[in-house]
Amino acid sequence: MGETLRNIGTRARRVDALEKVTGRARYVDDLELVGMLHLKALTSAHAHAELLSIDTRAAESMPGVFAVVTGKDVPGENQIGVQIADQPLLASGKVRQMSDRIALVAADTAEHAEAAVRAIKVEYRPLPVITHTDEALAPGAVKIHENGNVMTKKQVIRGDVEQGFAAAAAIVEDVYEVNYQEHAYLEPNGCIAIPEPDGGVTIHASAQAPFYIQKAVARVLGVDYARVRVIQATTGGGFGGKEDYPSEPSACAAVLAMRTGRPVKFVYDRAQDLAWSTKRHRMKVTNKIGADGEGRITAAQVRIDCDAGGYTGLSAIVSERSNSTAFGPYRTPTARVDTYVVYTNNLFGGAYRGFGTPQTTFAMEAQMDELAARLGLSPAEIRRRNILGPGDETTTCQKLTESVPGIETFEAALARSGYEQKRREFEAFNQTSRWLKKGIGIGACMYGGGLHAGGQFLEGSGALVHLRPDGSVLVSIGGTELGQGAFTVAAQCAAETLGVALEHVRVTPSSTDFVTDSGPTVASRTTVMSGNAVIDAARQLKGRILEAACELYGVPADEIELREGQVLKRDGTRLGSLKELANTAFAVKKVNLSAQGWYAPPRKTWDNARGNGDAYSSYCFAMQVAEVEVDLRSGRTRVVRVTAAHDVGQVINRTLIEGQIEGGVVQGVGYALMEDLKLDQGRCLNPSFTDYLIPTTLDVPEVDIVLIEQPHSAGPFGAKGIGEPSLIPAAAAVANAVSEAVGYRFRRLPLTPERVLMSLEEAGKLR
Amino acid sequence: MNLEEITLKINGAVRSAPMPSAIRLVDALRRLGYTGTKEGCGEGECGACTVLLDGRPVNSCLLFAKQVQGKEIVTVEGVGRGHPDGMHPFQKALVAAGGVQCGFCTPGVVVTGAHLCDTRPQASVQEIKEALAGNLCRCTGYAKIVEAVQVAVAELGKQS
Ligand code: FES
Ligand code: FES
Repeated sequence: MGETLRNIGTRARRVDALEKVTGRARYVDDLELVGMLHLKALTSAHAHAELLSIDTRAAESMPGVFAVVTGKDVPGENQIGVQIADQPLLASGKVRQMSDRIALVAADTAEHAEAAVRAIKVEYRPLPVITHTDEALAPGAVKIHENGNVMTKKQVIRGDVEQGFAAAAAIVEDVYEVNYQEHAYLEPNGCIAIPEPDGGVTIHASAQAPFYIQKAVARVLGVDYARVRVIQATTGGGFGGKEDYPSEPSACAAVLAMRTGRPVKFVYDRAQDLAWSTKRHRMKVTNKIGADGEGRITAAQVRIDCDAGGYTGLSAIVSERSNSTAFGPYRTPTARVDTYVVYTNNLFGGAYRGFGTPQTTFAMEAQMDELAARLGLSPAEIRRRNILGPGDETTTCQKLTESVPGIETFEAALARSGYEQKRREFEAFNQTSRWLKKGIGIGACMYGGGLHAGGQFLEGSGALVHLRPDGSVLVSIGGTELGQGAFTVAAQCAAETLGVALEHVRVTPSSTDFVTDSGPTVASRTTVMSGNAVIDAARQLKGRILEAACELYGVPADEIELREGQVLKRDGTRLGSLKELANTAFAVKKVNLSAQGWYAPPRKTWDNARGNGDAYSSYCFAMQVAEVEVDLRSGRTRVVRVTAAHDVGQVINRTLIEGQIEGGVVQGVGYALMEDLKLDQGRCLNPSFTDYLIPTTLDVPEVDIVLIEQPHSAGPFGAKGIGEPSLIPAAAAVANAVSEAVGYRFRRLPLTPERVLMSLEEAGKLR
Repeated sequence: MNLEEITLKINGAVRSAPMPSAIRLVDALRRLGYTGTKEGCGEGECGACTVLLDGRPVNSCLLFAKQVQGKEIVTVEGVGRGHPDGMHPFQKALVAAGGVQCGFCTPGVVVTGAHLCDTRPQASVQEIKEALAGNLCRCTGYAKIVEAVQVAVAELGKQS
């Protein structure tokens, strides 16, 4: 780059910090409109049943009720399935999970709508409820969908895995099972649909992917995309939970808005949100790895059974990430992955930060420890011998070329945490301590940034940048702000490129009216995608105004620099202000001061049959070391410290990156230790924060962060994504630490005190 | 539905409107335009609805508005009253430390945190964590929130 960066690598204040800290930020439930109606939904009483009849007559004549709709009233297609058309918006014929909607009511108040919902009568003929992938796959199992219970099957084939195992000196094989995780964003789902005079509709939604909502709403209404405007309201967290799911409430509200001609608000309470929205998938992972006498992996094989719930949703692509990166950051000379995505009548699986990889990472990292023990190596040493480096091929036979600091990141985590020494200390401590046991564990991850090759049709991202005649800048991006700081990063990229002070950059709420379909804000892709798109637009503008400056000041364009709102010569002499330049460019020279930016990574090739090819555009490494204390009397685990070393390419905003890592680690700690959704016959038994516990201030470890910067040429200023890698290895590291502390291998999550005690009791470890 | 005139003292002002007699405090505040107060759970678990009632942090989702008529209520909109720029030092510290992400927990965190800074400037890190244990935040992992309390306490110390 040559030039010093002024707005990159800083601790710039969030562009939305003031509005949030003063309570002014406007979330969707803070919007009230004249004549607005409230929507309530009736959901199924069974997880699996035939739907015999729905009687809405009584409900229709209840006070305040404007409309009651069922599947037959959807004006367009009664279909919400984003990947496969297997999910009606409103149940028709059959229900397959508890969250299936039977009918919707719009009324003048939420209370009236609620009362009308209770007056709807439904007749069901219950069917056997399938509660586990093993049951779904058993011969003769009742079919949840006509074409059977296997939604899709994926695989990766690399070399001859049997030969690989034949060459192994040690082989470990085991089954790991992980439960759901709820996103538990603090703001439940919500949206408002406003019918527009031109026959279209405007949606304000708490959402990660306005373009998904646009398509879903257009589909159920049977209108053009161009008539559906989706504006992202300030969104109180997403973590993947607001990728695909918000299309459902938005489509419901849109149907009723069109039907009644009134704005319709649909905001969930916590119990509804917990019971209805998607979750991190339950998975059963059967992992087998073999290594030679030196600890070098010769073969890796895994079977993944992913519990999708009643519908496809995003499960087919979530499991593609499990499938393509099941062996983490390790060399696998021969490998075989078989991934089954299976329908059940459990909760609906969907996108959640890490997207199918925290589950496989938990299994793989446990297996690495087991393999190390078998070979008499330390957990650190076996990893060191297998971590992928530049020039190596991934499991999908993709050659890693640029910015591959796996081993650097790993060693940084070990060194910073004092891993080897602590491991020895803890071992000595445990010799003499009867009840309190200490452990240290490693979790390692290599994360593919951006969408998988299979999803690359969604990969392009846009931005719109206007330079105003007073030198201020307005930016719109196709990505969304979920709390992660996307708008701040976008503003920093614009400020840096245009040489304008950050406080003169405003980022608009994301709207489908401003920018072309930019895909979802997921896959840790937004810094890279939206960042690059902003830079593209800003560079175009810069070129145009430098041309104007060249004429205005009589200095060659390549001699001119824009810096913090000033126009300077390279030697530092001031030529004028950006304000005066922008105004002259606009008023006198009639320069177009708006630019559309676009970024799409190069096309990736992918062979679906063998699961071979360039799965992702680039990769980043995340290596975490967790230190725990387990109290054998209570079974309770305290995570004392997590050292998190992350390969981030280039820091854009240090505070934001730290925030992502601290938050991600804590979600991972919750996943490892306490978050436990309980189901009975497909029904969620604990849909509340009273019974589904997430970490509080008292549950969190100290998080010690090390950042490794090895810029990647495809990233804005060299940056890579960080959102998900922060979470993925955390649960694995904690679980390994707990296993080491108590000398017993846990193969299930979460490690609640009850599970720890029961497992140790059974294993005879508590005597 | 029975409507009743409900009168509340909010951030030093008296506000009233006819509302259902069993309305919760969180709903009453929001109807009166104090939408900074959020509902994250409705059952006293998340703290997003925290306000001060006669100087003590409470969950406004667990109270009926009727019960608290005549008491002094402070919401996130009123925490900064009397401070330079209308911002309590804890609000400023939270911004500077980066203790705000999605912002949905933030109003509750601000009310609890500012009250803590004002009333217990000697609090240890453990005590700060205990005071904030009723405010769930899913984004930040809490480290920067705790740091902001420490910074703000130091700042308030300088001011007095
Ligand atoms: S909304 Fe009151 S504590 Fe959660
Ligand atoms: S900032 Fe999102 S919940 Fe705290």
